[in-house]
Amino acid sequence: MKKLMAVMAILLVACMASAADKPKITIYTSMYEDVIEAMTKTLHEKFPDYDVEFFYGGTGTLQAKIAAERDTKKLGCDMLMVADPSYALELKDAGLLHAYKSKEADNLALEYDPEGYWYPVRNLNMILAYNPEQFKKEELPQSFKDFAYNPAMKNVISMPNPLTAGTALVAISALKDKYGYEYFDKLAENKVMVESGSVALTKLETGECKIIMILEESVLKKREEEDSELEVIYPTDGTISVPSPIMTIKDEWSAHSNAKICEELTDWFLSPEGQQYIVKGWMHSVLKNPPAIPYDSIATDQIVKNSMPVSWENCLRDRTELRTNFEERVKNKQ
Amino acid sequence: MKNYLNFKTALICLIVAFLLVFNVWPMCYLIFRSFFGENGFTFEAIKRIYTYPLNWNALRNTLVTATLSMIFGVMIAFPLAWLVGRTDLYGRKFFRTLFVMTYMVPPYVGAMAWLRLLNPRVGTLNVFIKNLLGLAENPFNIYTIGGLVWVLTTFYYPYAFITISRAMEKMDPSLEEASKISGASPLKTVLTVTFPIMLPSIVAAGLLVFVSAASCYGIPSIIGAPGNIDTVTTRIIDYVYVGSAEGLTDATTLAVSLMVIANIVLYVSTFICGNRQYITVSGKSTRPNIVELGKWRWPLTILVSLFALIVVVIPFATVAMTSVTKNLGKALSSTNFTTRYWNILLTRKGILDTAKNSLISASVAATAGIIISCVMAWLLTRTKAKGRQIPDFLITLGSGTPSVVIALALIMTMSGRFGINIYNTLTIMIVAYMVKYLLMGMRTVVSAMSQIHPSLEEAALISGAEWQRGFKDVTLPLIAPSVVAGWFLIFMPSFYELTMSTLLYSTDTKTIGYELFTYQTYHSQQTASAIATGILIMVVIVNWLLNKLTKGEFSI
Repeated sequence: MKKLMAVMAILLVACMASAADKPKITIYTSMYEDVIEAMTKTLHEKFPDYDVEFFYGGTGTLQAKIAAERDTKKLGCDMLMVADPSYALELKDAGLLHAYKSKEADNLALEYDPEGYWYPVRNLNMILAYNPEQFKKEELPQSFKDFAYNPAMKNVISMPNPLTAGTALVAISALKDKYGYEYFDKLAENKVMVESGSVALTKLETGECKIIMILEESVLKKREEEDSELEVIYPTDGTISVPSPIMTIKDEWSAHSNAKICEELTDWFLSPEGQQYIVKGWMHSVLKNPPAIPYDSIATDQIVKNSMPVSWENCLRDRTELRTNFEERVKNKQ
Repeated sequence: MKNYLNFKTALICLIVAFLLVFNVWPMCYLIFRSFFGENGFTFEAIKRIYTYPLNWNALRNTLVTATLSMIFGVMIAFPLAWLVGRTDLYGRKFFRTLFVMTYMVPPYVGAMAWLRLLNPRVGTLNVFIKNLLGLAENPFNIYTIGGLVWVLTTFYYPYAFITISRAMEKMDPSLEEASKISGASPLKTVLTVTFPIMLPSIVAAGLLVFVSAASCYGIPSIIGAPGNIDTVTTRIIDYVYVGSAEGLTDATTLAVSLMVIANIVLYVSTFICGNRQYITVSGKSTRPNIVELGKWRWPLTILVSLFALIVVVIPFATVAMTSVTKNLGKALSSTNFTTRYWNILLTRKGILDTAKNSLISASVAATAGIIISCVMAWLLTRTKAKGRQIPDFLITLGSGTPSVVIALALIMTMSGRFGINIYNTLTIMIVAYMVKYLLMGMRTVVSAMSQIHPSLEEAALISGAEWQRGFKDVTLPLIAPSVVAGWFLIFMPSFYELTMSTLLYSTDTKTIGYELFTYQTYHSQQTASAIATGILIMVVIVNWLLNKLTKGEFSI
């Protein structure tokens, strides 16, 4: 027992001693681990003097973590790259964000905060996906409306959880603005399964689901990395585009109080070079002249042109109402 | 003699102090928070939470599933423990390892396997049974309360199995022999002698299953979500994910109900068997005798094999196969085979780092936990020290608290506002794991200890040994297998812990359980399956090593 404890103690010390004394930046993000891994390597090469670390979590998880941390008057991060743009509005109102006018701002194709509290950094798209090896495209819904309203889709559809995924919350906000709360009732009638990405994709592969609402990047990733046959349907009533923000936490709230370094990082992320890594991570660029388009996707401006309008103010204001309605109409119904 | 008394009091104070700081005080603060919002004292949160029908549904679901899992779990575990521990069943050692193995796999991985096997549309096992019996429809639907109970039972009965078989191995066989000599059949002996003697262990086992099933998040989140079955834990996490201060208050307010239920159950059961004292290992006993099954030997072996096949082999095989399958929609074949996910597992820094973190935090938690368990076992069964029930009560309280509540409470109180700042360190993980899983270790050691007659130690004392010496030379060797088992009972769930780690981890302290869950739900199920299979292989190797090194004396 004594030996065992000695070994443990040594391990523990070894583990704690490994920290370097370079200025540190912690970024909370909801980007894929694969993207994070690629990006961490590049950032270490680009900014050898800084120790930049990512911390992955779903938007909901991160919001919960931040809520708990706010209670203690100190956050665990210096920057945030979560999916839901309305969260940026909320943090700005709460006075947690650091304002910075990025020199890259003029090149952005999408709206950004005029005072510089947040900028869009990646464009995520909620789409529909199906499996051509199991079902024919013609027999499936081509629009978000048909997805919920077509009775033939009962028991065979799946969507992400608006309580945990920021993009899903945006999606139900947009769909509610377009079709009203009736859309939720129709989802419930079709007995939609509410679950996260990888679970839903597996159901598409096995044929348990015929069509799912999901982020484009998850499908593209699977196509490139696993030669998957799964295909994207860009809904005729509009792709739901989510320009996910990048924001810096104010020095008095942030973990390491390195806002100046965060400004450099913001510029890099918004530069054509930084955007290339976003595109490599199967997400769309936010620049007027995108450096590339993600693997197997369609042109970024085409997606933006055909996207469903989303009101970020509504999304923020109605967040609780949307969640409650979704809970009561969809989850409680079945 | 005076020193001796002070020493005991000091021990109790030490353990109580630890529990007060890291368990009681955070919980109290949490309850306080549910009454005091931004604007002082209010029943607002309580009213909001407990008038919402969805929460009542969740509460009912939790009670139903946890109770049924407890009943079924014990009903499975007791006969299995008896067959494997006390009869001449073929391959009993092998079966025991196999059943305990289920405990060593993260439950949400099992949930995923069952989801693939029994989903109502294309579940592999469902389709197979349909074709086999020529049915018109798939017979099972996993997205129901029944499905939830099935998965909870198959993953939590090992808690009961482990607790009961430990006690059974320590039982005095002369009582059973007496029954046999008096003409009772083996079955009658089991029912009239073995079962009543085992009752305290059985109740303890049932409790472990109940509390674990009621505070489990992984399984209901995976099985319940598609069927929209909410349990209290999934509701709590939903509230937490609202991501606002109000959401946190709502979560903690709802969590209070789970705390209350768990504690009522714990205390009712303590009351039931609190007054029963069974001392069943005497100085004279050697090894429990083996019941000969006679003509039942083969049929029972086949029955147990069938059970093992369905509950252990099929789901584990599904997970292992998933880890090498490229396209999960197609059968595993040479073209659909890939080692890609194993490569990721073995090369990705993120995964290896998290494994190291978990290894460290779980080892420390288990080691510290088992030391406390031994001390507690000694205090509870060998001393009449005043207040020795207090730490026992507090440990039980901690384990009865849902993981998510412990995590929330620790974040709020341990991040510097009240003088202690261990947030974002491995220490907070270790503390959380200990608060949650200490009971497992303690019950195992206490039940082993309570069945060793004090006369053995008294003999040592009479022969002139100090009590420490007596403990070391007499008691410790007798309870050593239980201590090792208890260590693993704390280590394994800490190693792949999910719910608390989800909230407590930081950049440097991410754990393998959380990594596994994120791969499972967000990135890649195959990678998750590879991680889970990796953990399983590790457990098998450790078990084999333990067995070899101690010549069969210890095994998991």
